[in-house]
Amino acid sequence: MKLLVVEDETKTGEYLRQGLTEAGFVVDLARNGQDGQHLAMTESYDLLILDVMLPDIDGWRILQNIRAAGSPVPVLFLTARDSVADRVKGLELGADDYLVKPFAFSELLARVRTLLRRGAAQVPVDRIQIGDLVLDLARRRATRAGRRIVLTGKEFALLELLARRRGEVLPRSLIASQVWDMNFDSDSNVIDVAIRRLRAKIDDDFDDKLIQTVRGMGYVLEAPEDQA
Amino acid sequence: MRGYSLTTRLTAFFSLSSACVLLGLGLLIFTAMDRHFAHEDYALLQDNMQLVEKTIAADNGDTLPKRLSDVYQHHAGMLVYVRGADGSTHYATPNFDFRTALASSRNQVGDEGFFQWQQGDKTYRGMRARITAAGNHIDVLLAMDTEIHEHFLHAFRQSLVSYVALAVLASGIFGWWAARRGLAPLRAMATRATVVTGDKLHERMPVDAVPEEMANLAANLNAMLERLQDDFRRLSEFSSDLAHELRTPLTNLMTQTQVALSQPRDAAKYRDILASNAEELQRLSRMVSDMLYLAKMEHGLDLPHKEAISIAQEVRALFEFYEALAEDKQVALRLIGDGTVEGDRLMLRRALSNLLSNALRHTPQAGSVVVEAHAEAAELVVAVENDGPAIPAELLPSLFDRFFRGDKSRMRPESDSVGLGLSITRAIMTAHGGTISVQSGNGKTRFVLRFPTAPYAQRHSVGV
Repeated sequence: MKLLVVEDETKTGEYLRQGLTEAGFVVDLARNGQDGQHLAMTESYDLLILDVMLPDIDGWRILQNIRAAGSPVPVLFLTARDSVADRVKGLELGADDYLVKPFAFSELLARVRTLLRRGAAQVPVDRIQIGDLVLDLARRRATRAGRRIVLTGKEFALLELLARRRGEVLPRSLIASQVWDMNFDSDSNVIDVAIRRLRAKIDDDFDDKLIQTVRGMGYVLEAPEDQA
Repeated sequence: MRGYSLTTRLTAFFSLSSACVLLGLGLLIFTAMDRHFAHEDYALLQDNMQLVEKTIAADNGDTLPKRLSDVYQHHAGMLVYVRGADGSTHYATPNFDFRTALASSRNQVGDEGFFQWQQGDKTYRGMRARITAAGNHIDVLLAMDTEIHEHFLHAFRQSLVSYVALAVLASGIFGWWAARRGLAPLRAMATRATVVTGDKLHERMPVDAVPEEMANLAANLNAMLERLQDDFRRLSEFSSDLAHELRTPLTNLMTQTQVALSQPRDAAKYRDILASNAEELQRLSRMVSDMLYLAKMEHGLDLPHKEAISIAQEVRALFEFYEALAEDKQVALRLIGDGTVEGDRLMLRRALSNLLSNALRHTPQAGSVVVEAHAEAAELVVAVENDGPAIPAELLPSLFDRFFRGDKSRMRPESDSVGLGLSITRAIMTAHGGTISVQSGNGKTRFVLRFPTAPYAQRHSVGV
């Protein structure tokens, strides 16, 4: 998967490149709008990450130009300005997502993966297996090592989210939004408590722990053999 | 009139009105005098008519012309014309042409016999009568010119014009002076206004020193300054609060990072420090977004997506969200009643979420949180009540202040609340035209939200 990051802020750009590269993407970094637009027009990318405020051509103009050139590539905007008008403008111009600075890197990563997945054909699955954990999505049932685990509806939804995005560190805000439809930061530790309760059910009785806490970032579900 | 100064306008107004008044008065006097003169003239004509009548009555032969001539030939100014029934002229003042007089006397003689006509460049007043003596009808016409009166009236008119001109000038000057003087308090206020700056908002308009009419304006301006000062104070408190709030985590971050860098450590240690930094930074970034959210709310932005929202539905969704936390603390969540509110779903959910998380934070183990919704007059009341120690009464008013925390210590054992939740809830309520209040006592704390139930748009249009 090849990404283009257009970001004039030196440090931000560098860290974005590093982070995304380490997450397994091939990343090109452009430091200004001119270069960014040129790269976007000439090379083939799976996703563009555009800063709105650039010294020469702003992100919106780049988006307009590449859309005018007929490119359907998904675009994620980064911006320091958060106003409804800006958001609407971005979406009207054909942006696919919008992230306001400062953002958590894990949030960006999760959104990038969502956008990339959107393009791919979704194979409907009714069963997910991670290690000895099996989720029966049709019947909303979970078993681990053959033992039935009784989960509430939201616990199952949480486990399903983690399982579908196995190996991805999911930030708390994304979990709150995807599982409970709470699209704002709650000032409580609800997610931590919910994860702790889920762990008690699926991990506590087993030696191999599937749900990992990545401090400062979020939670990830991984099979023991994938864990570094 | 725009563009002319108030002084100019007042001066013009004064001059114009005094000119009108004086001209009107002059005209009145002029007509009164004219009428008075006419009256005098007619009285004189009447007297003379009686004299002529007597003269005629005393006549017993052909001596009438002579008698009349005796009486009138030296009487300058009185014109006499006497004619017998046969058309013969008994007497006519010499050197005067009576034809016009006779013609106009036929046209306009009234009951009294008076009339008036122009001849040459003079105006004459006349009287005509028919006297019967010894069976004979004798027509008498008496007249006099009004030159002397005309003369007087002309002089009067002349002086009236010059007096009016003089008075207009005088009242203009006086008006200018009065306007300048009258507007002096306004200039004083303007001077005072120039000294009001951001750091001198305590300056006030001199209410006592200005006249009654401007006292109201001054008082209103002072009220405005009061509000501005209040806003300004809150704003600067806000910035200093913000700086203060940022200082603690920044100090932590800086110290921690520099200590970490001061000597080589193993990877696990670095990871630990970075993770701790990341947590602190996340808190900071949430604080910034919350602050921006609050700032946006307080700028009175319109509600982005308005729809009818069922309170019970939202509360149930939030209960699901907080379920794990509540069960963990063995806190019972209960919902009573329902109601519909016109508003923005995301904002309302956020407002209620803040209240619920706040309630859960302060409810002791095995306590309960009850959300109750019911309609009341033109309002929908949503109350969030939790068990918990009473909040000291003196803290209640500041509960909604930014960065307020009940415990002044920075310890946050079970949450990373930045102390903006209740401010945000209040701001959201304000944006919905509603209010929030709090009561605390008897082991319970109760937050009450009041939404007006009339459609939002209607109230909004009248400027709530």
